[in-house]
Amino acid sequence: MSGLPILDISGLCKSYGAVRAVDGVDLHVDRGEICGLIGPNGSGKSTFFDCVTGLAKPSAGAVKLDGQDITGWSLNDIAREGRMLRSFQKTVVFSALDIEENLVIAGQMFTFPGIWSTFGIGAAARNRVTALRERARELIKIAGLWDVRFQPAGKLSGGQQKLIQFASMLMPEPKLILLDEPMAGINPKLIERVVESIRLANTSFGVSFLIIEHNIDVVTSLCKRVVVLDQGRKLAEGTPDEIVQNQAVREAYLGG
Amino acid sequence: MTSAASPAVRRGPDLRIPFGFALVALACVAPLFLGNYPLHAIIIALIFLLPAHGLNLLLGYTGLLSLAQAAFFGIGAYASALLAVHFGTPFYLNFLAAGLVTGAIALPLGIPALRLRATSFVMCTLGFVIIGQAIAKNWISLTRGDMGLAAIPKPYFALGPASFTVSGTVGFYYLVLAIAALATLAVYLIVRSPAGRNMIAIRENETLAESVGIPTWHYKLVVFMISAVFAGLGGSLYAHYLTVVSPLTFQMYYSTTMLIIVLGGGAGTISGVIFGSLLFVGLTEALRVAPELRMIAYGFFLLALVFYFPNGFAPLIGRFWSFLERRK
Repeated sequence: MSGLPILDISGLCKSYGAVRAVDGVDLHVDRGEICGLIGPNGSGKSTFFDCVTGLAKPSAGAVKLDGQDITGWSLNDIAREGRMLRSFQKTVVFSALDIEENLVIAGQMFTFPGIWSTFGIGAAARNRVTALRERARELIKIAGLWDVRFQPAGKLSGGQQKLIQFASMLMPEPKLILLDEPMAGINPKLIERVVESIRLANTSFGVSFLIIEHNIDVVTSLCKRVVVLDQGRKLAEGTPDEIVQNQAVREAYLGG
Repeated sequence: MTSAASPAVRRGPDLRIPFGFALVALACVAPLFLGNYPLHAIIIALIFLLPAHGLNLLLGYTGLLSLAQAAFFGIGAYASALLAVHFGTPFYLNFLAAGLVTGAIALPLGIPALRLRATSFVMCTLGFVIIGQAIAKNWISLTRGDMGLAAIPKPYFALGPASFTVSGTVGFYYLVLAIAALATLAVYLIVRSPAGRNMIAIRENETLAESVGIPTWHYKLVVFMISAVFAGLGGSLYAHYLTVVSPLTFQMYYSTTMLIIVLGGGAGTISGVIFGSLLFVGLTEALRVAPELRMIAYGFFLLALVFYFPNGFAPLIGRFWSFLERRK
């Protein structure tokens, strides 16, 4: 454990024409931390995520992952080389494929050394896939999806799809996971299960998290530190208690 | 790109392999009870199976609609024809060269084309066919323009002291059958490999595929090249079978034929594409006996297909496989 934060973002900006969706945000996530990111709708949280994970190119600023500058890298490079994975606000799975295939796909690029080796048909390639299947099955059991594992992922409920998405992100033993509203649109009964999964991944696998979430109870129970965005800028930062008491935050949410 | 029935990579032993062997065995004895004309129709169908396999990898598995297959088909045909006519090289060299040349040409074409979004990409691939035809027509010193290249030798093999020429319909039938079987095996291995799984992931959801570390652009480029190689190999067979090539080898009609084979047979399935090429190419050849009705009948057939089997024949074939599996 070094003192260096796992994710260190400084002065991140993203403009669309004259609109500054993200305007000079500094944010860091410490190693092993679960950090929360909240803000009213349209405050730039998702754009911020997109810029950090390579789905969009930041207009200015720097993103450092584990000490390495990854600003401007593509989404797939950041996932593969940086082991920083993200979920999407709208739940996405490979709908036509079953859960196990979903998870194997999520792990493939982390065990095969390059694109050419994935065309392999020999024993080496088969062994890699077998190892991935075993890990996939373990995670399917942990996620409580064993009974539905042969169903096409698209046929399952929104909550189950969230769990698949989450299990997919654990396939490659990631360093850091960014979750975009993991609790949105899922059955309240499943919320506790997703919270437990996040906690388990954090404590047992040592994964750090940055989580966008509107459900304040979830944020309070998971995060020790919360960052608030409003109109593309960082409005406040502190413990959940401090944030709930903060006058500026209250105004942003109520007056927003 | 929506595509038909389950692409899912199956597990465990698979009934389709013994069935495939049975089909090949049946095909081997077919000349015993088929006349030359039906054999000719099957040869054309098997030649078109190659570019169709390539298009299926691109469209059925990776989700990219391309109309460029006819361009690569034509390039392969011309590459083979030029080598054979000018240098008298044996067939297998022309055949391999056709694959290499088309693959090499697909690389610089694919790099800019794959940067385009869906519709623009399709238009761009259409452009390749038109440009290919224009070059074949106008680079007269090389291609002899509209006169085309004639007297392309029948497939000629020179292996050490032994050399022989595949002439006659039956001989060519076996040659094409062997190549088609090998090509089908190659597609099967690609689709079943981890790369095949990544291709399906790209088709299902490209952004999600990116987010799990799949370099989608590189995969699309590689698959585009592989599909071009398949088309080029088909073109080479075409040139050596008909013994003439002309700018008409670069026809949009061929691209649409390959598209009909893949979509009508069942995109994202191998057996569907085999079925499709036998049906659609075999059918047009068979309908030549009634030339005035031929294209009308073909058109009505396609309309019926679209209305009654919008996913192609793949669901029917899928039902057939599960029927076999239940009986086991």
